[in-house]
Amino acid sequence: MGSRNRKSKRKAPPLTREQRRKKEHRELRQLFRSRKQKQLLFFWIVILAFIFLGYRVIMISYKRGDEYTKQVLLHQQYDSRTLPFKRGEILDVNGTKLAYSEKVYNLILDSNEITSSRKENAQQETLKALNQYFQIDTAEVEAFIRENPTNMYRVLKKRISYDVVEPFLKAKEENKAICGIWFEQEYKRRYPGGDMASAMIGFAGTDNNGQCGLEKYYDDTLNGTNGREYGYFTEESTIERTTIPPKDGNTLVTSIDTNLQSIVEKYVNAFAEEHRGEYREGEDGVVNMGVIMMNPNTGEIMAMTDYPNFDLNDPYNLTPFMSEGAAEQLNEEQQMEFLNGIWRDFCISDTYEPGSVAKSMTIAAGLDSGTLLGNETYFCGGKLTVSGHEIKCHKHSGHGMVNLSQALEQSCNVALMQIGEKEGKDTLMKYLSNFNIGLKTNVDLSGEARTNTLVYDPEKMVASDLAISTFGQGYNVTMIQMISAFCSIINGGKYYQPHLVTEIRDSSGTMVKKIEPRVLKQTVSATTSDRMREYLANVCIHGTGKTAVPAGYRIGGKTGTAERQPRDGINYVMSFMGYAPADDPQVVIYCVIDRPNVPDQPHSTLAQDVVRDILTEALPYMHIYRTEELTEEEIQELESKNLLNTSENEATSEEEEAAEGEGEAENLPIDPETGNPIDPNTGEELEIGTEEEDSTPSSDLDGLIGIENDPAEAVSDEFDPGTAAGFDAATAADTGPRGVPKSSQGGVGAGSLIGGGGVSIDYSSDEDEGSGQSGQGTSGSGQNDFGVGLGF
Amino acid sequence: MAKERQARRAKKADNFFDYTLLFTVLFLVVFGLVVLYSVSSYDGTLKHGDNAYFLKKQLLATGLGMVALVMAIVVDYHFICKFAPAIYGISVLLIFLIWTPLGRTINGARRWLYFGGISVQPAEIVKVAVIVFLSVLIAGIGTSIKDIRSFFVILAFAAVPAALLLWITRNLSSALIVGGIAAVILFMADPDYLKYFGLAALAVIVALFFVLFSLHKAESAEGTGDFRQNRIVAWLHPEDFEEETSFQTIQALYAIGSGGTFGKGLGESIQKYKIPEAQNDMVFAIICEELGAFGGVCVLGLFGLLIYRCMLIAINAPDTLGSLLVAGVMGHFALQVILNIAVVTNTIPNTGVTLPFISYGGTSVIFLLIEIGLVLNVSLRIRKQEQIA
Repeated sequence: MGSRNRKSKRKAPPLTREQRRKKEHRELRQLFRSRKQKQLLFFWIVILAFIFLGYRVIMISYKRGDEYTKQVLLHQQYDSRTLPFKRGEILDVNGTKLAYSEKVYNLILDSNEITSSRKENAQQETLKALNQYFQIDTAEVEAFIRENPTNMYRVLKKRISYDVVEPFLKAKEENKAICGIWFEQEYKRRYPGGDMASAMIGFAGTDNNGQCGLEKYYDDTLNGTNGREYGYFTEESTIERTTIPPKDGNTLVTSIDTNLQSIVEKYVNAFAEEHRGEYREGEDGVVNMGVIMMNPNTGEIMAMTDYPNFDLNDPYNLTPFMSEGAAEQLNEEQQMEFLNGIWRDFCISDTYEPGSVAKSMTIAAGLDSGTLLGNETYFCGGKLTVSGHEIKCHKHSGHGMVNLSQALEQSCNVALMQIGEKEGKDTLMKYLSNFNIGLKTNVDLSGEARTNTLVYDPEKMVASDLAISTFGQGYNVTMIQMISAFCSIINGGKYYQPHLVTEIRDSSGTMVKKIEPRVLKQTVSATTSDRMREYLANVCIHGTGKTAVPAGYRIGGKTGTAERQPRDGINYVMSFMGYAPADDPQVVIYCVIDRPNVPDQPHSTLAQDVVRDILTEALPYMHIYRTEELTEEEIQELESKNLLNTSENEATSEEEEAAEGEGEAENLPIDPETGNPIDPNTGEELEIGTEEEDSTPSSDLDGLIGIENDPAEAVSDEFDPGTAAGFDAATAADTGPRGVPKSSQGGVGAGSLIGGGGVSIDYSSDEDEGSGQSGQGTSGSGQNDFGVGLGF
Repeated sequence: MAKERQARRAKKADNFFDYTLLFTVLFLVVFGLVVLYSVSSYDGTLKHGDNAYFLKKQLLATGLGMVALVMAIVVDYHFICKFAPAIYGISVLLIFLIWTPLGRTINGARRWLYFGGISVQPAEIVKVAVIVFLSVLIAGIGTSIKDIRSFFVILAFAAVPAALLLWITRNLSSALIVGGIAAVILFMADPDYLKYFGLAALAVIVALFFVLFSLHKAESAEGTGDFRQNRIVAWLHPEDFEEETSFQTIQALYAIGSGGTFGKGLGESIQKYKIPEAQNDMVFAIICEELGAFGGVCVLGLFGLLIYRCMLIAINAPDTLGSLLVAGVMGHFALQVILNIAVVTNTIPNTGVTLPFISYGGTSVIFLLIEIGLVLNVSLRIRKQEQIA
C-alpha cells in the first residue's frame, strides 16, 4: 500500500528527477522537524501528567494521612485477625500435665453491627445478655455505643473461659436480636501443680514468653506460629474469608516424676517450717535449700526442688513471702529483684563450696590415676601443716591411723590432704575438670551458673590451695555439677549430661525427637567406680553417713559440711549425697541446706534427716524394696508413717540381729548444747570401722563441732581469734540468694588467688607469697595457729 | 550477516550507547523484584505455601528477559523489522489461540496461553508487535503519512488486535493501551495536529458520556448494572462501596495515606495483607505505604527519567523507523505508568493496568525488556555527529 502511494505521487506532477528528489527531501525534513516537535510535546505532556500524579500522591498522604492511618489500624484487627497458636504442654514421666495452655476468650463489641441492625430491640437485647452472662455494666456499654456508633472493635472482657461463653452462645442462637458480639481466642497458661517444681518448670504469660526453667530454655520448642484469618477479595467483588491455621507448639515430656517431686517438696517444706524462726527471728527455716534426685544410669532428673517454691499460676504475687504492707513499701525494681530471687533455681543457679562430698572425687581421682592403690594408711593427729599453714581436721584429737575407706568414712581431712599431696595439683585438677567442675553441665534449664572463674587455676595453685581443695573448700560448684559428677563415680564412670526432657512431641502427639541419655565422657574406670561404691557404702554403714540410711535399706553416700564465706564459724552449708541401693544404684539424691535457721548449724545430720525421710517414702514407690531387717522401733516408726509394707519384709521380728547400726543415731543420747548424738563410750579411740564395736564417736564427724567430747573446746577453736589473723580463708564467692560473687579483697599477695570472684584464701597479714611460714608469727595469740574453719 | 557485521563495525566507531537508560531500567527491575518480594510473600505463602513463590517466577522471567534484552540490542533493528508483518500476524493469531484448549483462566479471566508449563499473556506480545509493525508501516510510506487515508488504514491495523483483545479476553485496559500506543505513534509521525486534538476531545466526550450514563443507570437500577459501570460510580464515591467494588481502591488509598512522608519501612506494609493480589495493579500503593510519598515520587521520577532518555533517543534516532520505534516504546511506558498510578490514586476509575517492571507478570517483564532493548539498539546507531532525517 505504501509503495502504491509513492508511485501515484511520482506520476502526478511531471518533475525532473532533481526536483523530485529535492521535493521529497524537503517533505521528509518537514516530517522530521514536526516529529521532533511532537516528540518533545508528548514528553512534556507526560511529564505534566507525572507531576500531577506525584501531587496526587503527596496530597493523599498529607491531607488524609491521619484519617487513613486510623482506618488502617481500625480495620486491621477486624479484617485480618491473628489466630493464636497453642503453646506446647510440659508433661512428667507418667504423662501428668505440669503445664498446659487453655483456650480463653476475649469478648469483642462491634457497635457498628448493633447500630445498623434491622431489629429494633437489638441493642437492648444484646446489653441484657451481656449483663446476664458476663456481668458487664450495661450503662457503660450503652454510653460507648452512643458515642462510637461505628466502632467495630472494642474488647469488653478478657480471658473468659469457655464454660462462661457457652451459655451465651446458646442464648445468642435462640435470640436473633443479640448481635455485635464476637469472641477472640487467646491461650492462658495453666499449671495444675500450682507451686510444684516451680523454679524448674518456670512460667509463661499470655504473651507466650517463657521465664525461668524449662519454659524459658525450651521457649522456641514450646511456641508455634500464629495463624491468620483475613478477608480475601475475589474478581466477583465479594469478600471471602481465608485462614492460615496456626501451628501449635511442641510438647515436652520430662523425666520429672510428680510423685517423687511431691515427696521431695513435702520434706523440704517440712524442714523449712520446722525451723522457721528457730534462731533468727522472723526468718524462714533455711536461707537456701535444694534437693535433686537423679537417675545415675541416664542423667535424667527425677525430682528437683529448691526453697521456697512460688505459685506458677500467679508468679508475681508477693504475699506468700511477705505481708501486703511490706510488699507495698518496695518499689517496682525492688519487687522484681525480690521476685527474681524467688524464681531463681538454687539447684542450678547458685554456687557454694561443696565441702566433704568432694572427697569422693579426690579419692576417685587418686585410685583412677594409680596414685592410690587402696592399701594406703594415713595417720591423723588432728592437724597437718601445709607449707606453714596448720590446717586442722574436724576431729581435733585426730583419727589416728586410717585406711583409705576409713578416711572417707570418717571424712578425715588430714588423710585427704596427704592424698592430695601425693596426687599433686595437676592430677587432682585434671580429674576435677573431668568431673566437669568449673564447666557448665548444660542441663536443659535456663539460668545455669558459670563457675569457670570460681575454681582454682592449676598454674597459680599453691600447696595450701591443693590441701583445702581435697576436701571441697576453696572452689565453688553448683548442685547440678556435683550430682552429675557423683553419678559418674558410682555408675561405672560414665558422665551423663544431666537433662530433664526425654522426648519432644508435636501438637498431635507424634514424637518429633527422642532425647537419649548422652554419655559425655568416662571420668573414672569401672574398677575405680566399683571401689568407690564400696567405700561410699561403708560411709553409710559405719561412717558419718549413718543417719541418712532409711530403715531396711543399704545405701551409699557422703556427707558434707562447708563453712560459708566469710569464715566466721556461724554460717554453713550442709549437704548429703546418697544413692540407693548400695550395690546397684538406681537413684542418686543430693540435699543441700544453706544456712539453716538453727542456733548451731554445722551438722550434716540436718541434710541426712531430710534424705532419709525422702528415701524412706520414695524408694518403695520406685519399686526398690527393703533388703535389710528392721528393728522394732523402725517398724513402729514406719507404721506410724503408714509406710510399712509387711509383705516385703518378713524378717521384722528378729530384733537383735537387726540392730546393725542403722538405728544407732536414734538411740544415742543427744547433747543438749550441740543437738548432736553423743557416743556413750567416749569415742576417743581412733580405731574406727569395726562393725561390732561401732565406736564412731558421733554420726556427725563431718561437722566441725560436735565430734569432740567437749563441745566447748571445739567452739573455742572455732572462734579463735587466730583464725582471723592467720589463715583466713577470706571471702570471694558468696552463695547468697543472688549468687553474685563479691569481689575479693584477697587478691593481695597470694599467688594462689583466683581472680575475679573466685573463692580465695586471704593471707591477711604481711607475710604471704604463699611462702612457708606465713601465719605462725602473727597468730600467736591463739592456741591454735590456724583457723579451723576449713574443711570437714 | 553482512548487516550484523556492519552494525558491529558501527558500534566500534564513534557511536552512542545510552548507559543512563540501561542503568535506570536495571535499577527499576531490581527495585521491582525487592518490592515484589515484600508485597507478594504473604499471598505466596497463602496460596502456594512458599513466600518466594512469586519472586521465583518473576526472577525466572527477568532472567529470560535479560537474555532477550541483550539479543534485542545486538541484532540490528532494521533486521528485526524485516519480520514485522510476521510478528504482527503471529501476535494476532495468539489472541485467537485463547479460544483453544491452550487458553488458560486465572482469577476468573481467560487471558493466558499455556505452553507446556509456561503461561504467556498474548496482550503483552501484541503491544510490542503493534509498536514494531506500525513503525515499519509508517516509515515505509514516507511522506504519504499526510494522506488522511493512511491515517485510517494505520489506525485500523491497531484497532483489529485491540478489538480482539476486548472481545476475546475481555481486557479493556490492554485494548486501550494498544489503541493509545497507535495514537501516540501516529501523532508523532503525522505533522497534522488538528485531527489528534479532535481525537482527544472525542475520547473525553465519550468518557464523560459513559460516566454520566452509568451514574444515571446506577440511580435508576440501584447498582444492578454490570461491574464496569459500577466501577465508575464507585470511583466517584469510593467510600460508599468500601466493602464491595471500591474495596481495592479505598484500601490502596488507605495504604498511600498511612505511609506518610517516608513510609513504614520496606516490608512493613499492613495493607498488603488486605489488598487482594497487591502484587499486580496496586503495587504502587504498597510502595507508597512502605517507602512513603517520597518513595512513590522517586519511582515516578525514575519512570520520568526513562521517558526522557527515550525522548532524546527518539529525537536523535538515525532514521524514521528508529525514531518511531522509540516513540512507540515511550508511549507504551508513559501510558502504563500514568494509567496505573492514576488508578491507584483514584484519579480515574479502576482499569487494571500494571506498573512496568514492578507489578508481577512474567510476559510483561520479558517484553518490556525487549522494548528497552530495541530503544538501546536504536541508541547504538546514533553516530555522535550524525543528524539524519
